Amino acid sequence: MTLDLRARIAAIVERDRARSARVEASAGRPREPDPAPGGWTAEGPRAVGSRTESGGTPPRREGFGGPPHGADRNERGFSLREQRIAIDDLGLEVVGRAAPEAGVLAHLGLRGDPPASWDDVLFLDTETTGLSGGTGTYVFLLGTAHFSDGELVLRQHVLHDLAREREFVAAIHAELGRFRACASYNGKCFDLPLLRSRVTLALRAELSVDESHLDLLHPARRLWKDRFGSTTLRQLEESVLDDPRVDDVSGALIPERYFRYLRVRDPGILEPILAHNARDVVSLVRISDLVARAVILARSGRAPDHAPAALALARVFERTGETEAAFCCYESAYADGDLTVRTRAALPYARALERRGDVTRAVTMLETLLALGAGSETWREQAEARLRRLSRIEMRRLAVAG
Amino acid sequence: MPSLVRTDVRFPARTSLEQILETFERDAELAAMVTRWERTPAKPPRYAPFPAWVDGRIVRALRARGIEALYTHQAAALEAAHARKNVVVVTPTASGKTLCYDLPVLDAIAKDGSARALYLFPTKALAQDQLAGLERLSGEIDIELKTFTYDGDTPPAARAAIRSAGHVVITNPDMLHTGILPHHTKWVKLFEQLRFVVLDELHTYRGVFGSNVANVLRRLRRVCRFYGSDPVFICTSATIANPEELARRHVEGDVVLIDESGAPRGEKVIAFVQPPVVNAQLGIRRSALLVGRDIAATLLASGVQTIAFAKSRVQTELLLTYLRAKFPQPQYPPDLVRGYRSGYLPSERRAIERGLRDGTVRGVVSSNALELGIDIGALQAAVLVGYPGTVASTWQQMGRAGRREDLSAAFLVASSSPTDQYVVQHPDFVLGRAPEAGLVNPDNLHVLVGHLKCGAFELPFEQGERFGTEDTPGVLQYLGEQGILHETEGRYHWSDQAFPAQAMSLRTASNDNVVIVDTTGGGQRVIGEVDRFAAPVLVHEQAIYLHESRQFQVERLDWENAKAYVTEVKVDYYTDADLAVRVRVIDEFARTAGRRFSRAHGEILVTALPTIYKKLTMFTHENVGWGKIHLPEQELQTTSFWLTLEEAAVPGWPRERVEVGLAGLGNLLHALAPLFLMCDAHDLGLAVESRSPHARRPAIHLFDMTPGGVGFAERLYRSTDALLERAREHLASCGCEDGCPACVGPAYAIGAHVRSSVADLIRA
Repeated sequence: MTLDLRARIAAIVERDRARSARVEASAGRPREPDPAPGGWTAEGPRAVGSRTESGGTPPRREGFGGPPHGADRNERGFSLREQRIAIDDLGLEVVGRAAPEAGVLAHLGLRGDPPASWDDVLFLDTETTGLSGGTGTYVFLLGTAHFSDGELVLRQHVLHDLAREREFVAAIHAELGRFRACASYNGKCFDLPLLRSRVTLALRAELSVDESHLDLLHPARRLWKDRFGSTTLRQLEESVLDDPRVDDVSGALIPERYFRYLRVRDPGILEPILAHNARDVVSLVRISDLVARAVILARSGRAPDHAPAALALARVFERTGETEAAFCCYESAYADGDLTVRTRAALPYARALERRGDVTRAVTMLETLLALGAGSETWREQAEARLRRLSRIEMRRLAVAG
Repeated sequence: MPSLVRTDVRFPARTSLEQILETFERDAELAAMVTRWERTPAKPPRYAPFPAWVDGRIVRALRARGIEALYTHQAAALEAAHARKNVVVVTPTASGKTLCYDLPVLDAIAKDGSARALYLFPTKALAQDQLAGLERLSGEIDIELKTFTYDGDTPPAARAAIRSAGHVVITNPDMLHTGILPHHTKWVKLFEQLRFVVLDELHTYRGVFGSNVANVLRRLRRVCRFYGSDPVFICTSATIANPEELARRHVEGDVVLIDESGAPRGEKVIAFVQPPVVNAQLGIRRSALLVGRDIAATLLASGVQTIAFAKSRVQTELLLTYLRAKFPQPQYPPDLVRGYRSGYLPSERRAIERGLRDGTVRGVVSSNALELGIDIGALQAAVLVGYPGTVASTWQQMGRAGRREDLSAAFLVASSSPTDQYVVQHPDFVLGRAPEAGLVNPDNLHVLVGHLKCGAFELPFEQGERFGTEDTPGVLQYLGEQGILHETEGRYHWSDQAFPAQAMSLRTASNDNVVIVDTTGGGQRVIGEVDRFAAPVLVHEQAIYLHESRQFQVERLDWENAKAYVTEVKVDYYTDADLAVRVRVIDEFARTAGRRFSRAHGEILVTALPTIYKKLTMFTHENVGWGKIHLPEQELQTTSFWLTLEEAAVPGWPRERVEVGLAGLGNLLHALAPLFLMCDAHDLGLAVESRSPHARRPAIHLFDMTPGGVGFAERLYRSTDALLERAREHLASCGCEDGCPACVGPAYAIGAHVRSSVADLIRA
């Protein structure tokens, strides 16, 4: 390449870079700081025992290495790390224990036939080279967790050389194929479309697992959005699991960190990402368990304390035909809720009361709310219509009784 | 039909177009304005039978429509496409171009339901129109055909179905660039079975936009290769000098040219109209808008369905207002004349198109939005207010009038701009063979580097892979060193978290324009943008910036963020910035020495340092003030054509006369060069040096305002003789005394005897 051509390309690339920097500065995107001297310290998940696939002693701090510039890159283009965690250590009560119930899975977002066992559900989370999607965004780390012999098996597939992507994708495609269903946090919109794209590109194949998918984002929103404002996994760890993250690498910095790893091949650079991903997967399992517990409790008559959550659960119960549980949640939402929640709960709750023959209570409730001036114009019209209908029923009943 | 009855009642004295044209010819005032009254004879159709291989269901459906045979050019296009050859069809408006691509596509899908086709149109409106046409046709044919438009307006919920089930996907190059190619894994069914790519209105893919589109097509072919398909390209184009060359640059393969139309043509009168001079000294003529209005009003009053074209949004609105004033209610129906331009709602536009087709709308005033192939049926007369800028557009606009058998008429009314004046005084320029070339330069690194990034995002590059230019490995290597790509085992992978197509517009060169923000009345409204290189002259602080004939003053220029804040003002002066321009020749690609002129083209670096600005009064051009401009020097590396004056051209001339002649000739060539290039005058820069450091002689540089150039310089180098010939003709026929804005520039600005100096310089 002549010097002149080089200088010209440099000028053009520089111009583009300056422009995107301007755009980024106005969008406030963070940039990766220089690597801290002395490496990184990061807490992995609480592992009781871990082993490599071929068995042997825990290699947690071993890294994936080989020599920095990869004499064995061809064999080690991708790798698998595995560790096992006892269910008890994770404090799981429902998930991973008895066979999953269809009703519970429906609350977790599953459609279609439920898997027979928790062992058939693969919890997953990916790390990628960008958030924009499209064919130039690589998945370089797939963290998965599944239950086996009373333990949670955490596996991390890592791509170390983009030239080995095909083999890497074939391996994760095979792994995904072994499970009936998968569970994720916002995977419907993010992880799965990206995985699907990689599988198409590398293998010209399709993903079998995404038909059956538990996406915990929506159930988590139902239960906690109103209470904590945000339902990022990070937020839930702090507010729901009471186990906030320290020393975590920020998700926004992960792509640049991975690109740096590809250039300098120092396995230490990857460790914080692996820890971050492992943490995400484990939290996903624990959050699933909390959601399942809330569902089961509500079914046995103990709706969530937080009224908006109870109301949200009630609606799902109603959709899945569990009217008894729905009633219990409505009742709880109405009892504990402020005027806004009460108003939102009142109409379906009135229907539920009517179904149970408790017309008088339904009438009293609606009359009270109307007297308090609750609700929007539309709501009030609906409430009055309902009230007229309920009064007719009551009149008829009185007439029969009289 | 009630609508026709009403029209007839409104126009009891219905006159035939023939009679009106006779009246026009006899009218002394009009006759004095007409520089040419050309009558082109009718032409009978030439037919060819349906090729035997065309699916019987398609032939039956066409016969049911009354189409018993194809025109010869349609048959030729079908045969070529069927033989898997790329085609470019160049025939007039309303010659049945659409069937040239619809039929091969329908035939392929009729025979194999998995076959796919991609249609690219330069605008969304054209895509919508095409969708309706194709749906009508496929509805009549008993085959399963799903056609969709896919663009920014497509609802997300519908997208998945389009990706997998659409047989024909109709989109635009911008959407292909940002929405389809970077997500090609979602379009596997399309790319695996892509048989045809249709590029309609190919001549619009020129200049910066065309150079970008050519690169998008390179990316498209890369993705197709990955999925194992090799589509045939079917292109259509308006008449330009080099359709085959332009198609070959886009397709990067052999292309069959089909340019003999078999469609019939009715008799047509084409008139070139020159409004009379009202101020000889300043070279000011009667407004083309008013002359155009009078012609259109006369036609409309006689019941002739007429379309009038204006050059800008404002002119469109003005002409509409003027015309409506001629047809007051209640004597005339309120929607007798309608406006049509971008900015109208799609539903309004559809209603107007329908009204034109069924005859309820008698007249329409349009910007160039109706120039491209929107179906409005054929009208009887077209009035073009101002030369549309290219011969291709002129024919397309004139082609809006003309049914297949009947007489039609087209009037071109010239404004006082140099190109308009040239055209109206030399009608053969339009009537003869088109001299303008559609130019692209896909290998311009400023354009290419961005697409190479997008290409790497879509699929990794192999080390030795060529993306158009032989510079590919060098660019890849550099991007690799910069960490934008990551090289491993001989392949370059995208290694950046950005989505490269997002930040890149196909329609501008650098995305680096200065945006003009109107803050009048407290709000903030973007009213336009100027090229960053030109910004110091046009939008320095205190500059008077003209926009749609309104005056704005620049209050603040935020150079860092490329924003100029302006407020509307009413002042009697304009501003003119002085610019210290230097040209350094970096590389001379070719040079031809001549006795009087030598010509060359090559790569240059232009540096421009704004120094001061002057306030000049509007009509007398008196200097009433000045100020300093504090802005950094601008650099533009681009391609240029230059002409040097040898001693024999200026034998013994005093230095001052050389300078005046040089400046005048520069203005003249700069004004006329767009006639060869299908570009606007502001796409070309002009620099005049009384002593070029490179040639050590007086020199005129005409350079490409796009960094890296899109091919103007080389084209001018090859057409220098023709350009000088045009300059001679134009100068000889200009009515001014000693230079005016329509030729070499006014003497008060350039210097005394500018006209005669230039005439002496270039005399044959």
